[in-house]
Amino acid sequence: MGKTILVVDDSASVRQVVSIALKGAGYDVIQGSDGKDALKQLDGRRIHLIISDVNMPNMDGITFVTEAKKLPAYKFTPVIMLTTESQEEKKRQAQAAGAKAWVTKPFQPDQMLAAVSKLIAP
Amino acid sequence: MAELLWALGALAVGLGAGFAAGRRRPAPAQSQARTTDTHLTGIARLTGSLAPVWSAQIDTSRTQMETAVSQLTEQFAGIVENLDSVLASSAGALDDGHGGTFDRSRSRLGDVVGTLDEALATKRQTVAELRNLQTLNTELRQMSAEVSAIAAQTNLLALNASIEAARIGEAGAAFGVVADEVRQLAEHSLGTSERMAEKVGRAGTTIGGILGHAEETAEREDRAVNGANAEVQAVLDDLQALVTGARDSSSDLERAAVGIRSDVSQSLTNLQFQDRICQVLEHLRDSVTRFAETVADAARADAPPIDPDEALEAISASYTMDEERQAHASGRAADVRDSEITFF
Repeated sequence: MGKTILVVDDSASVRQVVSIALKGAGYDVIQGSDGKDALKQLDGRRIHLIISDVNMPNMDGITFVTEAKKLPAYKFTPVIMLTTESQEEKKRQAQAAGAKAWVTKPFQPDQMLAAVSKLIAP
Repeated sequence: MAELLWALGALAVGLGAGFAAGRRRPAPAQSQARTTDTHLTGIARLTGSLAPVWSAQIDTSRTQMETAVSQLTEQFAGIVENLDSVLASSAGALDDGHGGTFDRSRSRLGDVVGTLDEALATKRQTVAELRNLQTLNTELRQMSAEVSAIAAQTNLLALNASIEAARIGEAGAAFGVVADEVRQLAEHSLGTSERMAEKVGRAGTTIGGILGHAEETAEREDRAVNGANAEVQAVLDDLQALVTGARDSSSDLERAAVGIRSDVSQSLTNLQFQDRICQVLEHLRDSVTRFAETVADAARADAPPIDPDEALEAISASYTMDEERQAHASGRAADVRDSEITFF
């Protein structure tokens, strides 16, 4: 059984693109449509890595990561921020919230897989 | 979009003209002031009416594009999953299906041919032993003939002895008895030898018949086994060709599927433009709303004049992407930058 990755993005097409790349590499993928939905997805699951957008409705990605890191089960779960956002201030906020990497869209699947495998073994 | 830009330009010109007209008055005449106020109020009402319309149009476009691209992405994702499924089942069929069946068939047919070969070898050994038996029978017949010859010789010797004993007379009577006994023994031996020769001859005939039958059968079985071997080999060759053909087809299919999968993945990657355009449209919608609010505020009698730099700065602050900022600053379309990865 592969490792499980939670992909959080308000764009269904981006979630699909990321999911296809990850599934092709043998990972199991679950999806969340925004920060609030993603927090629900965390409940009762073992998730090895989180990939989250920054700008989302209901709950943005940085708030979501901050909240997720408060949960004991996800305190050390690596997080990759995947975003169109390019402001350095947002990047610093994400790092402070506990993110391990910052990837800007549009991304190439190979780049994303390289970032993922650097943080967790396949 | 052209309509929107045109209208925004017209509003800007109108606003500029209105403010210029107001500022040009050395002493505000009552009628001129009323005209200017009416002008500004009209522009503010127009802007307030247009903003929601434009926002709705932008949202409609954004939603339609998002829905269409999402559906397209899901369909592409389905294609990729189906390709993966086909590839997996194709590989599985060759590894555990046709390929496995071929290997098992070859092994089982090899066992059958091996058993036939063993039976044939046993038959050849039997034939060889029958030949040995026939040789022994021939030797026995020769020995029987030799015994008959010895018996005949002994009989002749005993007959001569009887004649010599009769010629001696009384003194040779006892010797004559012995000579008779020897002659009878010789005759008996001859009879036994002849019977033995007859039985050995019959045995030889039987052995010869069995040997001939066995040789004929062995030869026929030899031909049959060799024919079976050739048939089995031909069947295996046909099966091998079939499996090789299936493997080649599967490899071609796999290469094509991998190519399609790669193309679809690249198309999906390219579809990420939708996420960026949606964000640009959202920011544009917010800018339109903010513009209408700014114009409405400016239309108030006690409002300060509009500061274009401040208004543009407020719009710029809402951007999230570099190309938005570049387009804003240059007034020209900006290129999308390649993806960057930063590890913390």
